[in-house]
Amino acid sequence: MKRVFAFVLALAMVCCLAACGSTNNAASADRDKVTFTMGVDPEYPPFSYLGDNGQYTGFDVEVCAAACELLGWDFQVFAVNWDEKLIQLDAGECDCVWSGMTILDSMKEAGYVISQPYYDNTQVLLVKEGSDITSSADLAGKRVAVMLGTSGEAMLADDLADLAASFDDLMICNSFLSCFTELGGGSVDAVFVDLPVAAAYAAENPGFTVINEALGAEQYGIAFRSGDQALCDAIEGAVAELVSNGTYAEIAAKYPDISPDNLVFLNK
Amino acid sequence: MTLLTMTVKLAEGLGKTCAIFFLTLLFSLPLGMVVALLRMSKNRLISGVTRFVISILRGTPLMLQLLAVTYGPYYLFGAGVARNKLIPVVVAFAINYAAYFAEIYRGGIESIPVGQYEAAEVLGYTKLQTFVRIILPQVVKRILPSITNEVVTLVKDTSMAFTVSYQEMFTIGKQIANSQTSFTPFLVAGVFYYVFNGVVDFAMGRIEKRLNYYQ
Repeated sequence: MKRVFAFVLALAMVCCLAACGSTNNAASADRDKVTFTMGVDPEYPPFSYLGDNGQYTGFDVEVCAAACELLGWDFQVFAVNWDEKLIQLDAGECDCVWSGMTILDSMKEAGYVISQPYYDNTQVLLVKEGSDITSSADLAGKRVAVMLGTSGEAMLADDLADLAASFDDLMICNSFLSCFTELGGGSVDAVFVDLPVAAAYAAENPGFTVINEALGAEQYGIAFRSGDQALCDAIEGAVAELVSNGTYAEIAAKYPDISPDNLVFLNK
Repeated sequence: MTLLTMTVKLAEGLGKTCAIFFLTLLFSLPLGMVVALLRMSKNRLISGVTRFVISILRGTPLMLQLLAVTYGPYYLFGAGVARNKLIPVVVAFAINYAAYFAEIYRGGIESIPVGQYEAAEVLGYTKLQTFVRIILPQVVKRILPSITNEVVTLVKDTSMAFTVSYQEMFTIGKQIANSQTSFTPFLVAGVFYYVFNGVVDFAMGRIEKRLNYYQ
């Protein structure tokens, strides 16, 4: 019995060694092939979302896919939990966070490599059609929803804290959809949200209006781990090439809710 | 944010966590008994339907049931979404836990030997008297450890209310963790849950001891 056991153990060891060898070979043969994993919020149309065909798509996803193709890299999408995106980036679950992400000073202070901004964003209010709210001044005593982990939430806690204090209640929701559902169901009067997301939702779902008042200017960028400057440069270079060969504008044209006026690279 | 502010914020959330906990027990413990009796009904249709309902409640995630109760009416019938989230949260929790309690009650009731019913009948007890005076007291003693198990789970399950943005302790913990990029609020919340469960454990242990009157 003991002998059999020893034999099995020895066999297992050999197999392990063999396995090590084979992976090493595979790695050296495929050393030039980089797999680039972009971290996205899977519920952030039109920048990143689950498309009708069941694949992740959106403006950011398509640009990244095109950039990776240009660089000859394998391209993968990883859906992050938005309020833990930077922890997941640090953990190596993805190589960047690129998903309509607002550049915050705190990210730079924490040492993340942040790309050039590529989109000028504003926060707006989404309300139900026929609502008596026509500007942020009408929000006093109203119930407002905002999504957890968005720049809108940070803004209401900081720059716009006075505005937030005038609300009857600020509901911090778990996803954009739950914000919009609360609005549709009448439990809140307005949603504080990024303009393109609001525009995309209002276009798809009748009965909602975006209030034309920019409540906070900010810019979208891509976050990489600290020390990944080379990776950031490579991606920025590829994107610049996509801009110059017209692919970038072509992709942008597919997303009418993303205004070309706000795309920084198209206005240089 | 200092640790103190953080703890105070979380303690505020703990109040709402307690609200979910106590209201859920208040409704689900009696509701579970009703469901158990329906489940044991001699009428095949009633017991069959109850069995099916229990299978759905136990066979789908509580998180899904929470979303269904809170947002389902809006998507299906265009009805409004409740402003006070405590109502849909407690409804979802109470229904879900009633299904589990029902099965625990059933197990307890069915563990009592038939001979006791026969003896009670010979002694002239009515069916209701037999159940309330003879069967139920024994059932309660037998099922208490299983009930404690569920109650302890309930303390932790209250954290799922974050899916519908109810401002209980875990929801607040997530918000603080997010704005401070810190793990500390989760640790503090963990301590709160642990202490809460320590109290539950102690209370249930006392009840068990008190009911242990034959030893």
